[in-house]
Amino acid sequence: MNPTLKLALVLIIALEISFTQVWTVNVALLVVCFILMIAYRVKLKRLLWLTLVPLFFATALVWSLSLQGSASSHFLIVIFTRMFVYVYMGGVFTQTTEPLMLTRSLEQNAKLPSKFAYGFLAAFNLLPKIRTEVATIRAAALMRGQVLHVWSPQLYFKVILVAMNWSDQLASAMASHGFVEGAPRTHAVTVPLPKWNWWVCGMSLVAVQLGLFWGLP
Amino acid sequence: MATVTIDSLTFTYPKRTHPVLDNLAVTFPAGKFSLLTGVSGGGKSTLLNLIAGLTPLPTPGAIRFDGHPLAEIPAAKHANTVAMMFQEPSTQFTMDTVENELRFALENQRMTATDIPAAIDDALNFVGIAQLKHRILMQLSGGEQQKVALAIIVAMNSDVILLDEPFASIDPPTRLTLLQKLMTLCTQQHKTVILADHDLSGYAPWVDHLAVLDSGHLALLSAEETQERFAAFTPDRLRLTRVTAPQATETACLQGTQLGLFSGDRELIHPQDLAFFAGQTTLITGPNGSGKSTLFRALVRLGHYQGTLTYQGRDIQKIARKSYARQVGLMFQSSMAQFLNVTLDEELTLSQKNGNHAYFTPERVTQLLDQLGLTQHRDQVIYSLSSGQQKKAQLLCMLIMAPQVLLLDEPLKGLDLASIQTTMQILTSVQQDLGLTLILISHQLSGLDGLVTHHLRLMDHHLLYEGATE
Amino acid sequence: MKGWHVRDIIFVTILAIFMGTIFFVTGPLYTVLAAALAPAGLQPLANELLLGIWVMAGPLAGFIIRIPGSATLGEFLGAVVEMFFGGIWGASTLISGALQGIGSELGFALTGYKHYGWFTLALSSLTTAIVTFGWDMIKNGYASYHLGFMALLFVVRLLSIFFFGGVLTKLIANLLVRAHVLPSAAH
Repeated sequence: MNPTLKLALVLIIALEISFTQVWTVNVALLVVCFILMIAYRVKLKRLLWLTLVPLFFATALVWSLSLQGSASSHFLIVIFTRMFVYVYMGGVFTQTTEPLMLTRSLEQNAKLPSKFAYGFLAAFNLLPKIRTEVATIRAAALMRGQVLHVWSPQLYFKVILVAMNWSDQLASAMASHGFVEGAPRTHAVTVPLPKWNWWVCGMSLVAVQLGLFWGLP
Repeated sequence: MATVTIDSLTFTYPKRTHPVLDNLAVTFPAGKFSLLTGVSGGGKSTLLNLIAGLTPLPTPGAIRFDGHPLAEIPAAKHANTVAMMFQEPSTQFTMDTVENELRFALENQRMTATDIPAAIDDALNFVGIAQLKHRILMQLSGGEQQKVALAIIVAMNSDVILLDEPFASIDPPTRLTLLQKLMTLCTQQHKTVILADHDLSGYAPWVDHLAVLDSGHLALLSAEETQERFAAFTPDRLRLTRVTAPQATETACLQGTQLGLFSGDRELIHPQDLAFFAGQTTLITGPNGSGKSTLFRALVRLGHYQGTLTYQGRDIQKIARKSYARQVGLMFQSSMAQFLNVTLDEELTLSQKNGNHAYFTPERVTQLLDQLGLTQHRDQVIYSLSSGQQKKAQLLCMLIMAPQVLLLDEPLKGLDLASIQTTMQILTSVQQDLGLTLILISHQLSGLDGLVTHHLRLMDHHLLYEGATE
Repeated sequence: MKGWHVRDIIFVTILAIFMGTIFFVTGPLYTVLAAALAPAGLQPLANELLLGIWVMAGPLAGFIIRIPGSATLGEFLGAVVEMFFGGIWGASTLISGALQGIGSELGFALTGYKHYGWFTLALSSLTTAIVTFGWDMIKNGYASYHLGFMALLFVVRLLSIFFFGGVLTKLIANLLVRAHVLPSAAH
C-alpha cells in the first residue's frame, strides 16, 4: 500500500481511538494488526518485544490508575487495549515501510517540499556516525577529568557544534550534487498510488466509524 | 569544457580584519589538471567553496565559467558546470546506498527517468566500482566513498571538478586510481580539474599547473615552472638517529594479545601480539587509511577490536572508564574534539584543576603559553583561533593532564616550522621530567628526531618495530 | 523573517537524533525507576521525571534556529527518527511528538519570536507541560486520577520540563552565545 496513505490511515485511527472508549474496536484492530504482521512475516523476536513492552507499560498504568484514581473497570480495559493498538499499528507500519519509500512518497504523492524530504534523509543516514560521536565526546571529556552527564550543558554544547558542522557539510554536498531548493526534479523511482489503495483506506475508515458508532455507550 | 576565470576576488571571513584571499586574479585553463597548494588554513578550501558557488561571492562576477558567472547559469545546470569532492568522505552523501545517491544527483539534474539506470552504470564502470552499486554508503571505507564521490561527478558530467584535500585519509592504491581517472577526464573529456593539497609529494606525473596560494595571493605557474618546482621539491624525510629496537629489559605498559582491527568487514591489522613500552616515545608510521587512528581509538576504548588489550597487566575493558581515561589519554586529530569550554583560559583552568598540578604550576603554564605564542589569546574564544593555534592549545591541555600514556594523533598538523620546533622542545622536556609514555602518529616527519626512541611500522596489515625481527 | 533552508532542516534532524541517542543512555535509569515505582502504582512518575530530557529538542531547536515552527519541527522530527529507529510506539509517537513540539512552540510564539531569554523558556516549559498533560489526560486516562495525584504528576512534569527545557537549555544557549555561535540577542 502507498506509504503516505498508510501513514494517514494509521494516524487517523490512532487519533480516533484516543478520543473514544470502545474496547471492542481496540480488540478488533489488535487482531487485524496481528494478522497483518504475521502475513508480512514480522520476526517472532520483534513480535514478542512488541507484546512484552506494552504489556509492562499497560499493566503499570492500569495498576496505577486503579490505585491512585477512580476509573471504572470498563475504562481500564479501554486504556489497556489502547496501548496495544498503538504499538501493533506502529509495528505494522514500520515493519512494512522503509523510510526512503515513505520520504519519496511524501515528496511525490503528498507534495512535501523536497528540501524537507532530502534534508531529513541526509541527516537520518548519519545515524551510526552520530552514535559514535556521542561516545567520543564523553570519552574526550573523561580524558580531561570531566564526567559528562545528561544534565551537563557542555555535552549539549559540543553536540550542537558538531551538528552545525555536519549540517554545513551535508548542505554543501547536496548543493554540489545538484540539489536546488524548490527546483523541479525528475523521479527515477515513482511511488504508485493505485485506486484500490484509496478503496482499502476508505473501507477501513468506514469500518472503524461503524464500530465506534455502535460501540459508543 | 570550461575555463575558470577569477578576477579581483577579495574575501574576508566574518569578524576578521585581514582578507584570506586578497585581490586574486587567475585563470585555470580548460582541460588541465591544476594543483592548488599552500599552508593548512591558508584559504584553499575557501577558494574552492567560492568557485563551487557554495559560499556566496562578495562581488558577483568575480568568478566566471567560460565568461559566465555561476549566477547567470540556470540552477539545474550548476552541477553540470562545477562539482566538488570534499575532504571528509563520509559527510558528502544524502542517500543510503550508492545507487540511490547517484539517482538523487541525476534527478536533481532533471535527467529523464528512463535514462538514469544507464547513466549510473556507465559512471560506476568508468571508476571501476560497479560492485559497490547496492552497498550502503556509511559502511564503505573512506577510499571507496571518495570513488563513489568521483562516480557521481562523472555521472553529472560536470565541466569543472574541484577536489578539497581528497586524499587526506585514503590509502595509496585508491589515491593512484583516483588520480588516473582524473587524468583521463582531463585528457579525454577535457574536464578542468583543480585539486587542493598542502603536500606536493607524488603529484609530479599528473599535474599540468601548480597554483600557489601564499598569504592571500595566488600565482599560477606555467607547465615548465611547475615541473621545475616539482624537481626542486624533496619530500619530507624521516631521519631518526636515536631509534632502537625494544630491549628485553624494557617494561610493556600497553599490551595486545592476538590484537586484530577491522573497519566494517575490511581487515586493517591481522591478529598479532603487540606491546608499547613504558617511558619510551614510539612513532607509528604507515600509509593513509591503513588503520593507525583506528588503533588509537581501540587503545582508548572507542573502537572494537579482536583479542585482548591490557594496561599494566589488567584488561582495559575491566578498568573503570574514568580511571582509565586519566591514565591513557588521546590527543585527537581534530582539535575541536578535545575542547569542552569556550575560551582558551577556561580550557587551561579545567586541565590544571584535574591534571598534574604539582608539575604544571601556574608559573610554568604561563611560561609555556608564552613559548607557544598564545599568551595574548588567553581570553579568546577557542573556536575562533587559527587551526595552528588550536593545535598548540590542544597539546598544552593534554600535556597538563599528564596521563601516564599519551597518544598523539598528528600533533604537528598545520603548524609552521617555528611552532614545530617549540612544540617538540616542550614535548621532549615534559616527557623527560615526568617520564611519560608517548605514542605518536605523524605525517610531519622533520623535527621528530630528538624525541622518538622506537619506530613502529604498519605495513601489509602488520605492525613491526624498526630493528626488531619476527 | 527567514524561511527554512535545507541546512536548517538537516541541523534540526541531526540535533533530534543526537538528543535521541543521549536519551537512550538514560534507558537503564528509566527502567530501574519505572520498575521500582510500578508496584506502588507510581510508574507514571518515572515518565514525568524524565520527560524533560525527551522534550528538550524542541526548545533547543527553537532557541538556535529562530524561525517560526523550529521547535515543533525539532520535536516532531525526533519522533519520526524514533519511530523508524526501533521505537515501538508507532503512530502515537508521531502524535505525541507533534504535540510536544506545538507545546514548546507556543512559548516562542506567545513572545512573538522576538525574545530569547529566561521568560520565553519558562513560558515554553509551562505551555509544553500543559499541552502534553492535556494529551495524557485523554490518551492515558490521567483524567481519572484523584486530584491530588494528578497535581503531583503535573508538578513533577512541569519541574522536569523546566529543568531540562528551561534551565539546562538556557545554560547551553549561554555557552553558544559566548562562543559567538548564537547572537547575544535581547531576552
